[in-house]
Order: sequence, then structure tokens, then C-alpha cells
Amino acid sequence: MTTDFTMGYRNHTFKLLSVGLILTTLLSGCGKGTDSTADLTLLRVWAHAGQERERTVLQQQVARFNRANPDTKIQLTLIPEGSYNAQIQAAAVAGELPDLIELDGPFLSAYAWQGHLQPLDDLLDNALVADLLPSIIAQGSYADRLWAVGVFDSGLGLYADRSKLNQAKLRIPSLQQPWSLQEFETALEQLAIADPDGQVLDLKLNYAGEWYTYGLSPLLQSAGGDLIDRDHLRSADGTLNGSESKAILTRVQNWITNNLIDPNIDDAAFTSRRVPLALGGHWNYQQYRASLGDELILLPLPDFGSGSKTGMGSWCWAITDTARNPRAAAQFIAFLLTTEEVLAMTNANSAVPATRSAIDASPLYRAGGPLHLFFEQLDIGHGIPRPRTPAYPIITAEFQKIVDRVRSGSDVTAALNNAVVKIDREITDNRGYPGPGER
Amino acid sequence: MRPGAGSILLRYLLLAGLAIFFIAPLLMMFLGSLKADHRVLLESGSLTAFLPHELSLQNYSDVFRRTDFLRFFFNSLFITGCVVICGLVVNALAAYAFARLQWRGRDLIFNLVLALMILPFEAIAVPLFYGASILGLRDTYAVQILPFIANAFAIYLFYSFFIGIPKELEEAARIDGASTLRIFFSIIAPNAKPVFASVAILTFLTWWGSYLWPTMVTIGPTVRPLPVAIASFYTLPPLQWGDILAFGVMMVSPVLLLFVIFQRWFVAGVASSAMKG
Amino acid sequence: MRLNDQTTSALLLVTPALLGLLLFILLPFATALVLAFTDLRLGSPLAVNFVGTDQFLSLFNDPDFIRALLNNLLFAAVVVPLQTILALALALLLNRGLPGTVAFRTLFFMPVVFPMSLVAVIWSLIYAPGENGMMNAFLQWASFGLWEAKDFLRDPLLAMPAIMLLSIWQGVGFQMVILLAGLQGIPQTLYEAAALDGAGRWRQLLHITLPQLRNPLIFVMLVTTILAFRLFDQVQIMTRGGPENATTTVVYETVQAAFARQQVALASAMTVVFFLLVLSITWLQRRFTHHEREVA
Repeated sequence: MTTDFTMGYRNHTFKLLSVGLILTTLLSGCGKGTDSTADLTLLRVWAHAGQERERTVLQQQVARFNRANPDTKIQLTLIPEGSYNAQIQAAAVAGELPDLIELDGPFLSAYAWQGHLQPLDDLLDNALVADLLPSIIAQGSYADRLWAVGVFDSGLGLYADRSKLNQAKLRIPSLQQPWSLQEFETALEQLAIADPDGQVLDLKLNYAGEWYTYGLSPLLQSAGGDLIDRDHLRSADGTLNGSESKAILTRVQNWITNNLIDPNIDDAAFTSRRVPLALGGHWNYQQYRASLGDELILLPLPDFGSGSKTGMGSWCWAITDTARNPRAAAQFIAFLLTTEEVLAMTNANSAVPATRSAIDASPLYRAGGPLHLFFEQLDIGHGIPRPRTPAYPIITAEFQKIVDRVRSGSDVTAALNNAVVKIDREITDNRGYPGPGER
Repeated sequence: MRPGAGSILLRYLLLAGLAIFFIAPLLMMFLGSLKADHRVLLESGSLTAFLPHELSLQNYSDVFRRTDFLRFFFNSLFITGCVVICGLVVNALAAYAFARLQWRGRDLIFNLVLALMILPFEAIAVPLFYGASILGLRDTYAVQILPFIANAFAIYLFYSFFIGIPKELEEAARIDGASTLRIFFSIIAPNAKPVFASVAILTFLTWWGSYLWPTMVTIGPTVRPLPVAIASFYTLPPLQWGDILAFGVMMVSPVLLLFVIFQRWFVAGVASSAMKG
Repeated sequence: MRLNDQTTSALLLVTPALLGLLLFILLPFATALVLAFTDLRLGSPLAVNFVGTDQFLSLFNDPDFIRALLNNLLFAAVVVPLQTILALALALLLNRGLPGTVAFRTLFFMPVVFPMSLVAVIWSLIYAPGENGMMNAFLQWASFGLWEAKDFLRDPLLAMPAIMLLSIWQGVGFQMVILLAGLQGIPQTLYEAAALDGAGRWRQLLHITLPQLRNPLIFVMLVTTILAFRLFDQVQIMTRGGPENATTTVVYETVQAAFARQQVALASAMTVVFFLLVLSITWLQRRFTHHEREVA
């Protein structure tokens, strides 16, 4: 019986084995990039799948670079924005990162601390670094080294409907003389009187996500509060739940409960001219300009006591520690930072060009250009980088929940304290993020 | 108690009302996929959502232009196909050994296998994700196939069926000297077509729509399956509803077609999942 | 003697399956049990420590996780009875063999073959904010214009019900088919006898149909309850747990911890809690079914 069984089995074993072999070959053969061509430097690049115009420009840039550098071949992979950070973190664990990655600025610290990046200080030309905006350097630095550079920075301001401001006889503020808190609140009330539904300000509460931290944390900083104690980056206690932060968020909550804020459900509060004021970024400009024409003006954020502050930072490029050819990777970054290429990107997405040379050549951003204010406020240091600590992912997640609670009328103090506990615990759990020498 | 005409009418009215609830989203998807992008949302609030007019296939060609649809479709087909086919073989063979062969430790091991049935995939997703990450197995087909081939519930369904096949069929063959595998393939399997169909359909439905695991282990579009592909297409700016719905129609039509043709098997398969519970 | 010889062949037959179950279910689950007592983080350069029950303590002090648990319970408490009743109603309506039954059954079952991710995307369009959204327009029509357009998925009160509704839409066909099979297994003679005794249709439903359907009903409720605790796809695609945690769930929090925040140890602790939940639900169901068997 046994013999018979084995014989019959062998026949089947053979069939099963061959099926298994074919499957294994298929499974292992697919899904892995092939980079066997000799003499050709293959540069694998990951970037986020952003707006269609940005994607197109980036793809064109890669094609141009590949044409200009026949011995280097760039292989671009676009990854959905929603899970981008998580994807890179998970890939980093097994050393599966490509040579060059695009990062959202504030997440950079975590990668640098974990040791997944190479510093760029020695890889980029000094003249090129000197040409970069101070905000680009600030956002790309961690522990006194430069880890990433963006091709563009972001701009945050207050878009306004000029005719409505004039009707309400309001002073048009400037970067030198922004609205004070009192002026700003008076402006809201004055505008509300003339407004059919009384809602006069769009804070883009429909955006959610990173926008909350990017767009609304400058309000805290302008009021003297912040997301975390900036000197030591060890605790949010006393800062995020400090009296200044609490006071300004309570005011924001009052604006909402007093029906001054448009919920912007249709994303058209400003373009349909329902509201005369909208907090917004550079990415809103084209659409706003198309809707309001010459009535569109761009204002700095109000000064709530500690000066007018604004957001900064955007997507930037970093070279991974596993990059086989960091020089070639740096060459691609330098290529993206040539005036021509910076303008190709920023003309498509209206973002702030990262180099002074490109600013001077940009019709939107040079002196007298409609978005020159965005450059100016970054240049004089009104931009506050989102906290440069590996704890940033949790800080922003918690701040987003705070804004949600402020918005729905929950208790501000409780929301802040809750967030502080979580942020501080994360920092303690990571022993305050010791550097390589202190671990 | 024969139901009167009034009661039948009432029953049809109820059915019709419910039918609207079930069919409205489907109709909106099919018709919306044929309309210009800006009209989809604009018309979804009125009955024009359900009126076919000014239709075109533009969205479908846009899907092919904007995404790698065929690749995603192949990925889903390949992954699900491997899981279903390998799963049928592996689980049926194991179930047969549990149901029909005499061996030491059988009952103990079988009970252990049954105990595993209550572990939903969500209870092992984290450690599996951790393992796949540190081993560098993410973004492959293998990581989407291998973990799901062996399945305790499938073994149980096969077992329940095999145990009911008359022993006499096998005895004759065994006396003739047929090997165990030969008996399985020539006698058991042909007599167990319904359970093979049921398990195949249940496995297919589970993994064809699987979303949680592939979101964690696929990175770029290379091995991305359809459920992840539609979710990322949905978040890929600009938001164009016509294209998204066209993607959805193409994603679901082949399965709908299979369902309509083999409806009896689908229904029987689903019903069988409960029979022995 | 012949019987003993079967051990070799049996082992050959079960090895692939057992290997798979061991490697991909048992081993990972055991890993989760161990990891839950450490402070492991994906990608952290710091050494891993055993921290005892710290992760569990912080879980139960975490308002977000508590909210996730409550949301799952709420989802189960609403969806399980609603979906079961609807499935039963559909099954009863279809069981009488009226002309057209097959067409209706096809239609009601159709959403089951739709991947949940696609369902979530379609329903995001149905729930579109503003008066153009289909759900808003429908409610406005049904309330004679009283309904004010809402942003369902961003409204803390409406987001969860919105997700519940589409989940029922997608899943009820599955339950219906199981109950339909159960109904067809009830001997016709029982009804005939009851009709002779003069029992009306309500009494037949209460005294024959429901008791006869007891096991399929319990099974259907068990599956729906477990599905309620596995809730993830819709939440991830439509609301990302928001607004204000209104739709967050245990699995969503787990994936957030493991994948988005790299807190593998914390996520493992959540996994253990999730497993205990599922275990207790299953245990309850077993008790009810066994009870029935003893009686019968």
C-alpha cells in the first residue's frame, strides 16, 4: 500500500512542484525594478502624486533631465498623497528606499533623526545654497545640517475683495502695518453688517488634514502661543495649552459661533463672493484671480500681539542613506533648482520659487508681482517652520483634532490638555529623540 | 391562508420601494460614467441623474489615459486567481486528510485549525505588516497572495462536505489499489463540485474586494490591485466624477457579469457559509 | 495496519495548509501578543524595551481609542438589528415565490459583489454636500423642502449614520440569501398544521418562522456583529475617522498607529483588544446556539 501510494504521489508531486515553480518564478520576477543595464546610473525617485499640473511638470522635468544626461536614467514613481509618509516610513525599515525621495517639509526631522537621509551640505554647490530663500534652508535643516531642499516654498495670506473692504471703509493693511487683533475683529463685524448671511471669513474649514496645522498654527504664533516649546522641543505643556494659545483659539471659536465664518462646504465661499476675506495659500491664487479679477488683493495675516506670522514649507527633495550614487542624485536636485526648471514648476503651481534668481524672473513673485507679498514675508522671517522635531507627525495629528473640536464648539481647554498629554507622551516614549551619540 | 390580491399588491409595492433604494446608486454610477465630468454632481440631485442623455464614452478613455487601469485589473485578477486556485487545492487536500484518513493527532490538530477560524484578518494585520516591512517583502505579489492561501474556514467547509460523501465510493477504489491522491482527484473532487464552487466564490469575494492589506503593503502602481487603485484614483486631483465612476463600472462589470451568469452558485456559496455554523 | 499507513500520506496532504496557517496566522498572532508588551516602533533607532502592560494602560487612557470602541459598539447596536430585520423582511418578501422574485433577489444581492472601496467612493458622491448631492436632494424632496443641505461626511452627528446606511446597502443581500435558504428549509407541513389551528400570519411568523430560523438568525447576527467590529474600508476612504473621531473605529485606530505613526507595539496591543472582543462575541453566539440545540 505504502509503495503504491508513493508512486501515485510522485506523479502528482511532480505536477504540483512544477506549478509551484512557475508560480514562484512569476511571484519573484514581478514587482521588482530591473536595473541591470551597464554604465547607466539608475536613479530611483519617489514623489507624491499631487495636482495634475505639478505631476505633468515633474514628468517633463524627468524627461528633460534624462535627455540631457544620457548616462543617468531617472525612474519616477508617483505615490498617492494620502499614505505617502506611511509608505516611506515602512519602506525605510527594510532599506527599500529609492535614491531620491520627495518629503513634505515638516516630516523631514523624523527621517533625519532615524538616519534615513544623507546631509546635503557637501553635495550641493555653495552658490546654489546661497541663492535659496532662508525659509527653504530653515525647513530643510535638522540638528544643524541641511537634509532637504524644496524647489518651491509655500505662501499663506489673507485674500480680500477690495470693493467690499472699501465699502466698509476699512484700512487696507500692509506687511509693515498689518491689522491688529482689534482692527481685524472690527473689520469682521463691519463686513458682516453689509453681508447678506453675515458670514465674512473663509478659514477653509472644509480642507481638514495638514491644512489645519499649516494655515491655523500661525494664528497661535502671532498671539504669542505655539504648538510646542521651541527652545527645547521637549514638551507642549504650557505652550500649546498656555494662555495665549487658549485665548486665540477661543476667539476663533467665537468667530465660528457668532456666524462670521463660512463653512465653505462647496469650496466656493470666496470665488462665489459670499465672503470678502479668505485665509488661503499660493495654490488658491489662479482660481481667485479668475473669479475676482482686479478686485483681488493679497494681505498679510493680522498681528495678534507678537507680529504677523505666516506658514511656510512645502514638498522638498532629500537623498536617502541607501542611495548608491548621491552625486547623481544631487545633480538632479541641482537641475530642478536651475532658474528655468524652478519657473517651469512654479508657473504651473503658483508656489513661491525657492531661489532668489527665480523670484526675480517670476512674473508672479518679482517686485510688483501680485504675489510678491508671499516672498517678502518669508524673506523677512515672518514664516514659522512647523516644529522641526521627529514628533511632528503626532503634533500635527493632535492639532488637527483640536481644530475639529474648536470648530464644533467643544471645550477648548480640554481639547488642548488632551493633545498636550499625547504629544508629551510621544516625546517621552522616544526619550526626547537623542542624537546618534546619545543613544 | 392564501394571500389576497391586496396583500400581493402591497408586497410588490414594498419590493419596488426597496428596489429603488438598491438600484439608485447603481444607476447613478452607470449613467454618471457616461456623462461629462462636471455634469455628474450637478445632475445627481435631480431625476436627470437617471435620465440617459448626451452620453459619451469620453470618461472611459480618460481612465485609460490617466491611470494604468489594465495593470490594476491584471494585478487583482492574478492575485485573487492565485489565492483562489492555490487555496482550493491546499485546503481541500488538508480537509480530506482530516475527514477521511486515520492518523495520530488528527483530532487535536483539526480542533486547533477550527479554533483559528475566529481569528479575523484584522487581528494579524499588524504583525504581518511588521514582518513584511522588516523582510522587505512589501510591494510584491507574493505578500498579497501567500498569507491567504491556507484558510481555516475553507478547510472547515470542505471537511463538512467530505464527511458526508459515502465511504463506499472510496473503499472500492482503495481495494483496487488506488493511491490516496488518486482517490481524492478521481472520486472525491468530482463528487464535491458544489463545495469547490462555494469556497471558490467566497474566497473570490473576500480577496477581490480586499482593501486593508494592499493599502499597507503596496507602494507604487506596479502591484496595486483595483480596490486600492480606485481609492487612490478618487483622491488624485483633479476630482473628476465621470472618470471615477467609469473606473468603478469597469472594475465591477466583469464580476457583475459572472454573478448574473452563475447566480445560483453565488447564492448557494453564500448560503453554505452559514449552513453548518 | 493499513490504517496506520495513512499517517504518512495524511501528513503530506495537510502540511501545506498547516504550514500556511502556522506561518501566516499563528506566528503573526503570537508575535502580536509579544509585541504588545514592548515599545517597538517601526524605524526607530532606539533600542526596544519590554514595558509590561504600559501599552494597554495608555490605550484605555486614550480618549480616541475609547471613542473608537464606543463607535464600534454603536455601529453594532444600530446596524445589527436594522440589517437583520431588513434581511429578514427581504427574505420573507421573496420567499413566497411571486413572479419576478428572481429579479428582485438578483438586485438585492448585487451590492454584495461590489468591493467596499468602490461602494465607499460611489456613496461619497451620493453624500455630496450642497443641494446637488443626491441624498440631500432626496431628503429635501421627502421632507417637502424642510431639510437643509448638509455635509454628511463632515458632520459629527451625521457621518456615522451615513456610513451605517451604505454598509447596510452593501451587506444586507448576503444576510438575505442566508435567511432565504433557512426559510426554504422549514417544512411546509408546520404552516399547514398551524393554519388548520386557525393561526394568523403574524402568529405563524412568531411561532413557526422565527423559532425555525433561530440558528441562521444567530449566525447572521454574529457575522454582522463581527463585521461591525472590523469596520475599516468605508472609514478610511470616506472620513478618515473624522469628524472629531465620530467615525473612528478600533481597526482604523490600529492601522493609524501601525502604518501612519509606526507605533507597532501600541497597534499590537490594539490588535489584542480587538481579538478579545471578537472572541467574546463568538463565545456568546456559541452559547446561544448550543442552548438551542439542547432544547431541540
